[in-house]
Amino acid sequence: MQQQTETLFIQHFGKEESRSLAYFREKMAGYSALRKALGMSQDDIINEMKRANLRGRGGAGFPAGVKWGFIPKQSAKPKYLVCNADESEPGTFKDRDIMRYIPHLLIEGMVIGGYAIGAKVGYIYIRGEYTREAKLLNQAISEAYDAGLLGKNILGLGHDFDLTVHRGAGAYICGEETALLSSLEGKRGEPRVKPPFPAQAGAFGGPTIVNNVETLAAVPFIINRGGDWFAGLGKLERSGGTRLFGVSGHVKKPGLYEIGAGSATLRQIIYDFAGGILHDKKLKAVIPGGSSAPVLTPEEIDVIADVDTLAKIGTMLGSASIVVVSEEYCVVRLLTRISKFYAHESCGQCTPCREGTRWMTDVLYRIEHGHGREEDLALLLDLSNNIAGRTLCPLGDAAAGPVASFVKKFQADFEAHIRGGKCPSA
Amino acid sequence: MPKCIIDGREVEFTPGQNLIEVAKSAGIVIPGFCYHPGLSVVAQCRMCAVEIEKMPKLQTACSTAATEGMVVKTRSERVKDAQKSVMEFLLINHPLDCPICDKAGECDLQDRSFDYGSPYQRYAEERRTFEDVDMGPVIKKNMNRCIHCTRCIRFGDEIAGIREMVAIHRGNSTEITTLTGLPLETEYAGNYADICPTGSLTLKDFRFKKRVWFLKKVPTICEGCSRGCSLELHQSDNVIYRCVARENLEVNKYWICDEGRFNFHYVQAPERLTEPAARQGGSLQSAEWSVAVAKAKATIVDKKVTVLVGSDLTQEEALLLKELAPKHFPGAAMFHFGTPGITAGQHDAPADKILKRTSKTSNLHGLEQLGFEGLVTLPRGTEAVVVFRGGRATLPDLGGLATVGVGVFTAAEAEAFQAVLPGLTFTEKSGTIVNFEGREQQLKRVILPLGQAKPLAEILTMWANVGAAAVVARAGAKV
Ligand SMILES: Cc1cc2nc3c(=O)[nH]c(=O)nc-3n(C[C@H](O)[C@H](O)[C@H](O)COP(=O)(O)O)c2cc1C
Ligand code: SF4
Ligand code: SF4
Ligand code: FES
Repeated sequence: MQQQTETLFIQHFGKEESRSLAYFREKMAGYSALRKALGMSQDDIINEMKRANLRGRGGAGFPAGVKWGFIPKQSAKPKYLVCNADESEPGTFKDRDIMRYIPHLLIEGMVIGGYAIGAKVGYIYIRGEYTREAKLLNQAISEAYDAGLLGKNILGLGHDFDLTVHRGAGAYICGEETALLSSLEGKRGEPRVKPPFPAQAGAFGGPTIVNNVETLAAVPFIINRGGDWFAGLGKLERSGGTRLFGVSGHVKKPGLYEIGAGSATLRQIIYDFAGGILHDKKLKAVIPGGSSAPVLTPEEIDVIADVDTLAKIGTMLGSASIVVVSEEYCVVRLLTRISKFYAHESCGQCTPCREGTRWMTDVLYRIEHGHGREEDLALLLDLSNNIAGRTLCPLGDAAAGPVASFVKKFQADFEAHIRGGKCPSA
Repeated sequence: MPKCIIDGREVEFTPGQNLIEVAKSAGIVIPGFCYHPGLSVVAQCRMCAVEIEKMPKLQTACSTAATEGMVVKTRSERVKDAQKSVMEFLLINHPLDCPICDKAGECDLQDRSFDYGSPYQRYAEERRTFEDVDMGPVIKKNMNRCIHCTRCIRFGDEIAGIREMVAIHRGNSTEITTLTGLPLETEYAGNYADICPTGSLTLKDFRFKKRVWFLKKVPTICEGCSRGCSLELHQSDNVIYRCVARENLEVNKYWICDEGRFNFHYVQAPERLTEPAARQGGSLQSAEWSVAVAKAKATIVDKKVTVLVGSDLTQEEALLLKELAPKHFPGAAMFHFGTPGITAGQHDAPADKILKRTSKTSNLHGLEQLGFEGLVTLPRGTEAVVVFRGGRATLPDLGGLATVGVGVFTAAEAEAFQAVLPGLTFTEKSGTIVNFEGREQQLKRVILPLGQAKPLAEILTMWANVGAAAVVARAGAKV
């Protein structure tokens, strides 16, 4: 078993009482970071964030401090801080626990973030299905308002910050930050061309930072205990803090695990933390970062599960959501299901994604149901090639990556379906 | 001026210009569908992909501003591959019904397909289909042909000022339609057909009338109001089939209103009088030119005459009248007319926030420049009126006075006239008109005069050459 680092979040999950302001103050030094931050300069906070090596927890792993630094000091339009709580990537369920068990941590992180970038207004864009979480957040927000931790002249220190929960309507694409902003503005949830980046022109045209829940929830720790301490929680050079891994699929103990960033391999997470494969079957495949991450074979999982290490082997950490697949499950069926998800969630704006995701899904469906043709595998690879890197937003890549990786790595399974005219395990 | 390098050539650009425009200025075509210079940039179709040095991914040229020293390749293997795949994606669900599509021959999708697509098809799945939708009086939609470029949505939103075209549903099921399923409301709906790069939005007025490659396209100016938008009129065998907007950044950008677009129909309407006519036995009847001219002259002889000049005439025609009126109509007062309530250029104002002006004739401001005054009321004692009209000016109430019409009238309009000498519409003559900003613009002849209609100069020459008394006798004898 890997040596345990200090955990920040997970010990508070699963407890009703951790939601309250009283618990947060007593057990988590709640809102002391806010008081401290409001006494610091904006630059000092951003520098502390940079030192912390906090990589965005939403999927792309962009350093949060660097992102905050992109916000222009002066702006004619109001600035905004937006929390991305859309959490829709299949396999992902970490932000949910932060919101339902320690909502004040997120609120505190957002007030600090607002102060650091000069935003007086913040939004939490939460996925529509999280009705309970939205309610709990709203309760915590009103508690914070009542305690003078939100609103005008916070803690009497002159900073104003208003926070609103905005519920989405059930579209995965609204997790993409520019689509999220469009949706927030009341428009159709479609990604926008970048540049301009949100930091230049985001919500309602004002400079905007969009950060994931887990990213913002880490902020109070960084302020209280320093960027260097936070960076030290991570075991790799450019990746600080702890990471919440969501392990699902065919493991004995599915759930959330928190470890220091870069402190364990995929194999360790799956076997040491999550108890190994269900019914002690053989491992077939691992999707390391939410369903859009290119798949790995059992031979490839002795890799440190972190942003740069997984990128190096052609996949990604994404939302740190590990989907484990045992030999009992058909990978053709799995890929068809994943592909269908992205086709269904494509916003339909841009040509390769709108047309290509559906085409790939149709071909996969045929193969799964025994109507595949020999040339289909080459076609699938070609289609995924024609989508990857050529779409307006990364959803195209999210759809293409799984197809290319599954077809290449599990070619034999696909061929068996095509030649046998049915699923061999059916 | 800063420079960038496109396909090995140094090209100057204005800061802020996107790569499609910069390349175009050097004669290099970067294909695109969603990009339209008059609309916002959305980079959705992905057709304009180019390779830019130091950037790992292909970039969309429409959304990329040129920068100093930027090195761009528009025909590299990677670019060609991307273009080919976008064409394939756009066509998998397209019905390929070019033989019966009105857009064929002027279709971006068809042309780009030829230039950048692959001749082979790999798609073996079922095509997505939709029912055709009637979108009101102007547009019919065939969603199967749509490539989701969203130009129509942006046109409504950004130019027509009404968000009536929208995308509903999502992804592969996305449908471009009106928000409510109700007909289009804008008075600029024809532009939807102009900018749709496929045969998805077609003009009901033109559907199935003519294959576009048979059309001869003549650049001219709209006579619908005092803005004078640039148009193209399309004719074949001396029949006008269609009118489309012509780019003119200073006057109308890329757009025209529906009133202007469909205005040409009166030119070839059966109601238009294209034969000379003279009143005989209580009704207006077709007559020979000489008879009609004689009747006209007889109508005004020895009477106190007022001459009315439509502000739908060209400068050349108006000048001619100014010069010849004292000779042909000695002592007659002369006024311009055109739009009820607008008797002077200063009354002409914007009629909406887009293009339309309140003066519904094209040359009000030109006639004012030439010193014509607007008709308020006919001078006291007027006994006869001679009306010169291009076809669009609204006729004033002539109070039952003996009237001669020279120019373009319908049978109903001329019902009470003594004589009609048929002249030319704006499509049958060339000439100059002056718009509300004082801009001189040229009308071009699109078709040959219909019936026996004649140019004004010829009619006035006839007028001079036919002796009134002699012809009165003849008219009496023959008609
Ligand atoms: C299709 C798509 C879906 C996404 N969904 C989410 C999401 O549900 N939650 C999230 O935090 N980020 C999501 N992202 C990433 C966001 O665009 C953005 O990078 C992130 O919110 C930035 O926060 P971070 O820097 O704190 O990671 C998604 C991106 C894409 C392309
Ligand atoms: S890649 Fe897909 S989801 Fe993203 S903009 Fe294009 S169509 Fe929409
Ligand atoms: S109807 Fe025409 S203009 Fe509108 S999105 Fe479709 S192809 Fe584009
Ligand atoms: S023209 Fe650039 S993406 Fe459509």
